[in-house]
Amino acid sequence: MPLEGRCLGNFMKIGRSIPVSAAVLGVLLASTAAAAPFRPANDADILEQLPSRGGGNTDRVARAMQAMLVRDPRDLDVALRLAQLFVDRARSESDPRQLGRAQATLAPWWDENAPPIPVLLLRATIRQSSHQFDPARADLEQIIARDSGNAQAWLTLATVQQVTGDLDDARRRCERVAALATASIGTLCMASVDGVSGRAAAAYAAVNALPSHAGMLSSEARVQTWATTLEAELAERLARPLDAERAYRASLAVDPTDAYTIAAYADFLLDAGRASDVVALIPLDTPVDGLLLRRAQADRALGSADAARSARDLTDRFAALRERGDRVHLREEARFTLEILDKPQAALELALENWSVQKEPLDARIALECALAAREPHAVDDIVRWVERTRLEGVHLHALVDRVRAP
Amino acid sequence: MKAVTKLLAAVLSGFTSLAAAHKPSDSYLTVRVDGAAVSGHWDIALRDLDSVLDLDRDRDGRIAWGEVRMRAVEIDAYAMSHLKLDVGAGPCSMSASDLLIDHHSDGAYAVLTFAGRCPQAVGTLTVDYSLLFDIDAQHRGLLKLENASATPDEASVVTAVFPSDRRRQAFASGGTSAWSQLGSFIGDGIGHIAAGFDHILFLVALLLPAALGRRGRTWFAVPGLSVALWNVAKTVTAFTVAHSITLSLATLHVVQLPSRLTESMIALSVLVTAIDNLVPILPPKRWVVAFLFGLMHGFGFASVLVDLNLPRSSLALSLFGFNVGVEMGQLVLVALLVPLAYLAREKRFYKFAVLDGGSLLIAIVALGWLVERSLNLKLMPF
Repeated sequence: MPLEGRCLGNFMKIGRSIPVSAAVLGVLLASTAAAAPFRPANDADILEQLPSRGGGNTDRVARAMQAMLVRDPRDLDVALRLAQLFVDRARSESDPRQLGRAQATLAPWWDENAPPIPVLLLRATIRQSSHQFDPARADLEQIIARDSGNAQAWLTLATVQQVTGDLDDARRRCERVAALATASIGTLCMASVDGVSGRAAAAYAAVNALPSHAGMLSSEARVQTWATTLEAELAERLARPLDAERAYRASLAVDPTDAYTIAAYADFLLDAGRASDVVALIPLDTPVDGLLLRRAQADRALGSADAARSARDLTDRFAALRERGDRVHLREEARFTLEILDKPQAALELALENWSVQKEPLDARIALECALAAREPHAVDDIVRWVERTRLEGVHLHALVDRVRAP
Repeated sequence: MKAVTKLLAAVLSGFTSLAAAHKPSDSYLTVRVDGAAVSGHWDIALRDLDSVLDLDRDRDGRIAWGEVRMRAVEIDAYAMSHLKLDVGAGPCSMSASDLLIDHHSDGAYAVLTFAGRCPQAVGTLTVDYSLLFDIDAQHRGLLKLENASATPDEASVVTAVFPSDRRRQAFASGGTSAWSQLGSFIGDGIGHIAAGFDHILFLVALLLPAALGRRGRTWFAVPGLSVALWNVAKTVTAFTVAHSITLSLATLHVVQLPSRLTESMIALSVLVTAIDNLVPILPPKRWVVAFLFGLMHGFGFASVLVDLNLPRSSLALSLFGFNVGVEMGQLVLVALLVPLAYLAREKRFYKFAVLDGGSLLIAIVALGWLVERSLNLKLMPF
């Protein structure tokens, strides 16, 4: 259409519209009321810390590529390299802002139905990270239809299907990955799926049988982290806490900044009643919401003086997310609403909405916890049946299932 | 090696479904409207400003107040060039006056204070927001619009979100209530016709032979004005009735078609009508053609109206106003085209240059649209 989409709001009607918008408005007003703009006293006052990027070399490369794209935005080769750099950065800095950068870099091809395969692959990755699982899956299936030997597409598809609970399909994708990629990647793909479908012991043995993680090439540090953290999670699921702890620590020794591993380890510590270890693990000023959530839970468990601050910071962050209309962090928001705000009813709604999008063990667990706290065990009947059908293992999970099923 | 590195990217993007870090980029824009005066403040993350203006000049990985203060003029110019307010009578002129700092949940923000005037008191305010979209497709502008002249029973604050695919949004303020709203919908209708080249070209293709009659393959001039006007009236009325029907059905969500289909059909209707001017391929009665294709164009109009997210309460009013606007736009076109077509109808050049040449041109443009829209490509500049 020649005209851009326009949206007509209405000053007068809005006050009478649905209560939801009133609530949103309330949050907005509250958050801006708390704000107080100021003029810093000294030129030397530091206002913002930029993400450190080891020497700034990639920064220079990124700026050079951006300058090239200003001259020719349709230079596919440069755009792909820059977008890949942003996607890598999104991951290493846990910064979704970089995903928007990657998307903007691919703008000339973004809305095409059948862009070049490398664009599709990046688009799928970015969409998956924004929890747009169906469009991501469609992109990946298109790649496979056009190039059935694309190991990366098979692997990402397996991951998407595992996250969305499509475990049988995920396993079939992993078989293709095993045939196309290195043996260790294939094994890890399969072990991830097996680990959530009643075969955790076999998966644990398979990961352990991999050539010593430490012996992997140093350039494969990320694979090493993946392997070691998976090993820790499987050990935890098999009720082998000593092995789990050893593996978590080994993984953090390889990459101490990996947010996924830190979060999983923190959960392990919280379950073990070791809140003070979580406080040592996660600093109060972590920029990662998922980590701040664990820190806030630990502060609360310890009755520490930091509890009020971490809870307030989290409240602000979730309010800011709601304001922009994001529904990406439902799992964390459900847990925050249950553990920090003590609103089990609202938390249960969030957890169920989250369950309709993603189905990982943590998603099942938070939904069961919310249902118990809200005294609505039947709200999670489907999830209990899911756990039984997939034979998902885990001591804590099964304790929850038993309590939900208890008359 | 390259294959392995690429593989890793995928592994990890999936592996960390805890990409739940801090949030993506947002800016917070507050606009206060009081008569023709506008003022407000705009909070933009220092990290975002750094990525476009390179604030961290000493490359120490930190942004100091001095690095912001020294660049205030550039920051103001950059930001204000990405925000346009318009009240219909023209753009509001605005300038930034002060630069402060504030902290939001995800870091430090520059706070730009600005003020300005609009050409007339604000009735419908169109906000055109384009900050950062060129470098960050997931950036969003969060607007809070305050109406200082709202009466106590009116809500004085509206909020809206500007994602990259909805940069332009219009807000009707209180005051003259329904009438001013009706006016703004009529304006939308006229605007849509004026900016919708496909609808204009369809009408032109339909009306080029308005003062001609057809015998077999040859056109002849109609004897009098009344015959020509009767032709036009039948054609335009048929088109109007048809597109009003589908516009209403689509806006009320009774019938919905995918926009790729309707847009392609509209292009096809322009193409076929233009070809028919050269070689008869459609029913001889023009009003029948206008009616059948008008049904398709109605779905096209509706896609605009659906995007407006209309409140249910004012749906009938907006539908009516939008339709009136479309008709008014059409009548202007008829008033421009038909007298010329009538006066020139007996000239040889009209038949060859205007009717044949014009129809051929229209057919070529329409073919371009058809290919572009049906295959989802980007070929045409408009």
